[in-house]
This record gives sequence, C-alpha cells and structure tokens, in this order.
Amino acid sequence: MSPDLLIALTILSNFVLVATSRVNKAIQIAVVQGILLGLIPLAMGLGRHPHILLMVAATIAVKGWLIPFLLRRALREVHIPREVDPYVGYTVSLMLCALGTGLSLILAHMLPLKGGTKEILLVPAALSTLFTGFLMLVSRRKALTQVVGYLILENGIYLFGLLLVEDMPLLVETGILLDLFVGVFVMGIVINHIRTAFDSTDTRHLAELRD
Amino acid sequence: MLDVALVLLAACSWIGASLLSLSGKLDERWSRWLGLCGALVGILGAGHGLLGGVPSRLDFPFWHGTARLESDALSAAFLLPLHLVAGLGVAYGKEYWPLNHLRGTGRSLRFHFGLLVAAMTCLLVARHGLVFLLAWEVMAVCAFFLIGTDHELSEVRHASWVYLVCTHTGTALLTAMTILLARRSGSLLWLPIPAGPSPLDGWILLLAILGFGFKAGFLPLHFWLPSAHAGAPSHVSAMLSAVMLKMGIYGILRVSGLLPAIPRGFGAALLALGALSAVYGVGNALAQRDYKRLLAYSSIENLGIIGMGVGLGLAGRANHDPWLVALGFGGAVFHVWNHALFKSLLFFGAGSVLHATGTRDMEALGGLASRMPRTALLLFPAVLAVSALPPFNAFLSEWFLYRGIFASLSSGYLWSAALALVALAFTGGLAAVAFAKFYGILFLGTPRSPAASHAHDPSRAMLLPMAILACLCLGTGLAGPLLLPSLDRIVAVAAPGGSVPLGPGLGTDLRFLVGAETLLLAVAFTAYLWWRRALVPPGRAEFRPPTWDCGYALTLPRAEYTGSSFSDAWAPVLPGLKARIRRLTGNFPKPVAFRSEFRDVVGERYLGPRMERLAARLLRFRRLQPGYLSVYILYVLLALLGAFLWMGLRGRLLG
Repeated sequence: MSPDLLIALTILSNFVLVATSRVNKAIQIAVVQGILLGLIPLAMGLGRHPHILLMVAATIAVKGWLIPFLLRRALREVHIPREVDPYVGYTVSLMLCALGTGLSLILAHMLPLKGGTKEILLVPAALSTLFTGFLMLVSRRKALTQVVGYLILENGIYLFGLLLVEDMPLLVETGILLDLFVGVFVMGIVINHIRTAFDSTDTRHLAELRD
Repeated sequence: MLDVALVLLAACSWIGASLLSLSGKLDERWSRWLGLCGALVGILGAGHGLLGGVPSRLDFPFWHGTARLESDALSAAFLLPLHLVAGLGVAYGKEYWPLNHLRGTGRSLRFHFGLLVAAMTCLLVARHGLVFLLAWEVMAVCAFFLIGTDHELSEVRHASWVYLVCTHTGTALLTAMTILLARRSGSLLWLPIPAGPSPLDGWILLLAILGFGFKAGFLPLHFWLPSAHAGAPSHVSAMLSAVMLKMGIYGILRVSGLLPAIPRGFGAALLALGALSAVYGVGNALAQRDYKRLLAYSSIENLGIIGMGVGLGLAGRANHDPWLVALGFGGAVFHVWNHALFKSLLFFGAGSVLHATGTRDMEALGGLASRMPRTALLLFPAVLAVSALPPFNAFLSEWFLYRGIFASLSSGYLWSAALALVALAFTGGLAAVAFAKFYGILFLGTPRSPAASHAHDPSRAMLLPMAILACLCLGTGLAGPLLLPSLDRIVAVAAPGGSVPLGPGLGTDLRFLVGAETLLLAVAFTAYLWWRRALVPPGRAEFRPPTWDCGYALTLPRAEYTGSSFSDAWAPVLPGLKARIRRLTGNFPKPVAFRSEFRDVVGERYLGPRMERLAARLLRFRRLQPGYLSVYILYVLLALLGAFLWMGLRGRLLG
C-alpha cells in the first residue's frame, strides 16, 4: 500500500470527524485515524528499523486500544451520546476544515523545510490534522469531544514527526505517546469531576473558576 | 583564603539557621545560636580583612568559566555592620517577635531573615556578574517577604508590593549594567578593567547609579522606603536601613572601582543628588507622625549624606585628586558604619516602644522616659549621634565630609561644593530638630493615651543589643583615629591607584578633636557625680516636680505640645505636609476641625494616582481572559498560524 493513500485517508477521516455529531462515532474515527497513522511508517518502507517497528506497535496499541478504551469508559459514565450545540456548527466546521486543508497545502510549500521526502502529502496532512484538532478543541463544547480534538492534534504532531522519523530517537516518540496517554487519562478523570461538580460536562461552566 | 573561608562559613551558618528555624521539632534556640555563630564568624572574617587588608579569594568553575569569591577591605567594610546588626537583630527578635506571634509569622520571619543575611554575605564577596545578580535577587526577594511579615494589614501588603516593583526595576537596570560591564571587560568576572577610554564607561556608571540608587533610596527613587520600613518588624527595619540600603552604596563603590577612569561630571552630579536627598529626607522626617516613618526618612537623609561622600570621591577620581578621593570615600564608608550603628539602635528602640505601647503614632505617646527609663537612656546616644553631635560617631564622619567639601572648593567644584556645604549644614540642623521632636514627644511630657501610661521597659534580651549598640556609638566616636588605617585600606580598594593615606592629613586634627571630646566627657561626668552627691543627700527621695510645659504646670495631656505643633514652625521645608483648617466664620461659628496629613511628594502624590490610572486602563485586557478553554486554544491556534505565515512569508517580505 502506498503511503500517500494512507495519508489521504487520514485527511478524509479529518473531514468525517468534524462533521459528526455522535461522540461514539468520533471516537471510532479517532481509532481509525490512529491505526492509519501507525501503519504509515510501515508503508513508507521503514519496517527494517527495529525501533520503528516498536514504535508502530506502541502507537497502534495506545491509539487503537488504550485511549479509546478510556474514552468509551468515560462516555459510559457521563451518558452523553451527542454533542448538541457546538460553538461552530457542523456545516461551518466542515467548510473551515476544508479551508484549513487548503491553507495547509499552500503553507506546506512555503515552509522552509528540509527537502528530499518522497511523500509530498505528508506535511500538508500534518498541518491539516493539526488544524482539525485545534478546530475541534475550539468549536466543541463537551469535554469528551474536546479530548478527541486533543487526540487529533497529537496525531498531527505525530505526522509531522514522521518527516524526521529515521533521525528521531525512540525516546522522543515514546515521550509523545506517554504525554498523550497521560493527557487523555487525566481528562477522563477531569470530565467525571466536571460532571459531578456542575452536573454537566459542558466546559462553559469552567469559566466560573476564573478569578 | 582564610577570610573568604570564614565569610563562607558565616553564610553557611546563616543558611543553616534559617533552615533550622523551619523545623517544628527542634527548639528555636538552636537556630538562634547558629545564627549568632554565623554573625560572630562573619565579624571575625571581616575584622581580619580590615586589619590585615590582604584580599583572599576562591575560584570555582561556574557556567562555562570561573567565578570568583573575594573578600577584600571594601567587602569587609560592609560585612562588618551586616553581621553585627544581624546578630544583634536575631537576639532582639527572640522577644520582639516570638515564634508564634501573629499566627505563626515568626517562623517565616526567621527563615527569611537568615536567608537575607546569607544572600547579602554572598553578594559582598561575589566577583562575578551572574553570582552577584543571583545573590542580589535572593536578597531582594527575602526582603520582600520580611517587609510583608505582617501581611494581614493592607498597608503592609501595599508597601511590600511597591518595594518588589521598585527592587525589580532596579535589578533590570543592574542586569543591563552587568551586560555592559561584561562587554567592556570581555568576561563576567569583575576584575579591574585595564586603562583606556571607552564610551561604555559613562553608561555603566549611569546604570549603576540608577540601579543601585533604587536600593540606596536616592531622591526620586526613595518612595518605596518609608512605608516598607514602617511596616516591617523593627529588627527587620533595622536590618533594611542599617545594611540593605548600604548594598546600593557598596555596589556603586565596587563598580566604579572596576572602571579605570571616572568620566567627569558624575561626581558633582552624585554630590548634588546626595545633597538633595539629604535635605528632602530630613525635611520629611520632621513632618512625620509615625515614628518609624520618621526614622525611615532619616535613613534617606543619611544615605544622601553617604551619597555625597561617594560623589566627592568620584569627583576626586575624575580630577585625579587623591586627597579628595580619600576624604570622600573614607567619609562615606565611615558614615556607613556609623549609620548602621545608630540607626539600628534607633529602630531597636522604636521597636521597644512599639512593643510596649502597640502604636506607631507619636501623638498617642509621651512621658515614656519615666515609664521606660532604660530604653530612654539607651536611645539618647543614638539621638545625639543621628544629629551629628560630638562625642558620638556620626559627628566624625560628617566632619570628614566637611573637610572633603572644603578641599573640593579649591579644586574647581565651586558650585556643587557650595551647594553641598549648605545642604550638609542645613541637614545637620534639621536632623537635630527632627530628633528633638522624636525624643521629646515620645519620652518627655505626660502620656497622651492610656497605651503610653501603661508602658514598661522590655526584657533584658531586647535591652542588651541596644546597650551594645549604644556603647559602640560612643566607642566609635572616641576611637576615630584608630580607624584611619582600616579606612585607608578600604579607600585603596574603592579607588585603585589613586588615593593617599588619611593619617598624615587628618590624624593630628582628629586626635585633637577626640582628646577634647574625651576631656569634656570626663569633666561632664565628674560634674554629674559631684552634683548628685552635693544636691541629693543620700537617704532622701529625689523630689520629682510635675512636668513643666510651656510655662504652665499641671497641664492636661491633651493641651500638651504635639509633634505636629512642634514641627509647625518648619512647615515651609515640609513638602509633603498638607494642613486643612477651616476658617471660623459668622457670629456664631460652628465647631471646626484641624486636619493635617502627610503624603510623599514623589511616591504618593505624583506616582500613586498615575499608577492607579494605569492599572485601571490595563484592566481592559481582562476581557482577553474570558475563562473558556476554547478561547484560550483559539489564541494558541492564532499564534501558531501567525508563526507559520511569518515563516512562510518571511522570505518573500524580506527579500
């Protein structure tokens, strides 16, 4: 399988993600995206490095199983199947996502990056995923969908890291994964606490905490 | 090596003392004794340095290079009062601010006190820009916590915040100075810079005077000082006034000593600045109702006098006049010692009065001399010393400065010298009036409130440090000629290669002065003994007539002279005092009230309202903080996009 196909699928999954209102579906898409990302290094033909193999396994395990497990558990506890009224509606989100993807295609050409990568879609996809993650973080109201946005944001960073995958030590990758896991883990707890404190997982209530 | 080792040992003991004070299990005694040990070791190290005069140093690797700790005569000159006042302060603080006083603030007080002493010790031996700044910062932050010890009072909180802003502004200037100094000399080590003119010299000196001036409280930069000194616990005020302000003087002396030549004009400017600060400080001291604020303004005055000495020395260096250098720097350092002695004594005394009566308002006190006789007796030397009267110590250091200013009259500094001369004389006179008010209103007359009438002397633990300081005040005044060799060594460090010994020029006059003082003192003492024996027959109680007041016997306390009425005659020289009197009008006038209030011209009248307006304007930016997580993430996104766009477009925009 060519890596460009996987990358294109990742971009497509971004679109699906911003257009969906069901939390469960959003988690599913995030799982799919995580597995796609995990497979990209293999498709790029980097399977000969043992540390990259290890990284692929860890990515798929964490993003495809551990994090969704935590998210689904949180979902079961708070019982909120849908994101009802986001700050930015789904159609507008879709259009913004498309705009962001277009912008990242332009930006990727303008960035002063090291040349020589075969996958021309890698940098635009990274920027686009980053942008999508931010979009979800900004436009969604429920804590759980925001966590999914955070996940997508990290996926974008991961894609960016693939540019340097052969030079990057395993430690850095592991660090990012661990960071992600801890972030989601903590958010899972925080979501529950938000619910018990405010009787809702709407993050608007957190504004009461400012000084 | 020996001196530096002793000084470092002292610093370590102080750190140990401050850490021990945190422990809840150990008795407080351990921490106090360790601090006293540190003070003793520090005094030994500094004394050895002053008597021997051989600089000892220690190099160690630090941040891609070597850093140096060095204890020379100039460091020792400031280490000596630091450890003396700190040691006495620890002893005094035991009773004055017990460990569980005010909901356990005593622990934080002891911790930061020890750390402050250690930081100042390190600062004085540091010869590396970064180490110096680090120690400076630790000192500043510790002082912030010490000033804010009684943080439940809003005025104390305000004072400590104002202090923090001021000290950090000063640190910013000093950082700039350190960078320029590093650029001038090629390394962060503070070594004497080889000769050769450079345009940077002027900037370095200007930044040093501004940055250190914040700490020393020179005229427009003094406004943090009065409320900070008034709000802090008294032994901390003594520490701040007697030692921490002097770190500014030390810094100016140290940095100017590194420069090969002093640009012309700085000396005269500092002389004028010092003269203005002195007159301003003493004028405002006269207007105070709060006796601790009075002492704080008197610190501004004395720092101004010291600044005049430093200015004189710098003028001498610029003019290549070694005699002027010796008189200026020598007088400045001598006054640093003297001020440390009498001002800490005054603050300790003020603390005793505060401890006994619980009020800082002079108008509520009075008649304490008969209720707190020991405190009154021990404070009297300090009051005479601060008014620069013989035979006490400050008389001699001001005499040095008079000699210096007269010497500078003939060497081309006609205008600044004439101004300084008048200012110094005026300051001395006003200081005498201010402290006549301080002593008279507090200790004489009859009590103006129940708080004063029930006052009593503090315990021996508080009186003993005061007694030591009082003896030192008199002793330094009488031992002036013995100090000349040490002062010579200090001047030689502060002005490398351009000073002459003070002994040949001053020795004869000084010995004559001191001899005359001793003689007069002896005569007065004998006369006193004779008078007691002749007029008070043993066995008969001394007759105590009622207090005589303005020619009327047996006046009511509320009809007494007040502090304000005492200083009323001097109203034209009190720039911050505003009195409001409504005129009596009509045939049947209603009752009228008189009200006077004091607000510092620079800090409270000029800067205060402007700062408030600025703060109100800056509140608009609060809207940027709505409390929604999404908005914050949006900011991150916008910043990221901006960074991307900038990276992309930079090439095209800049060509």
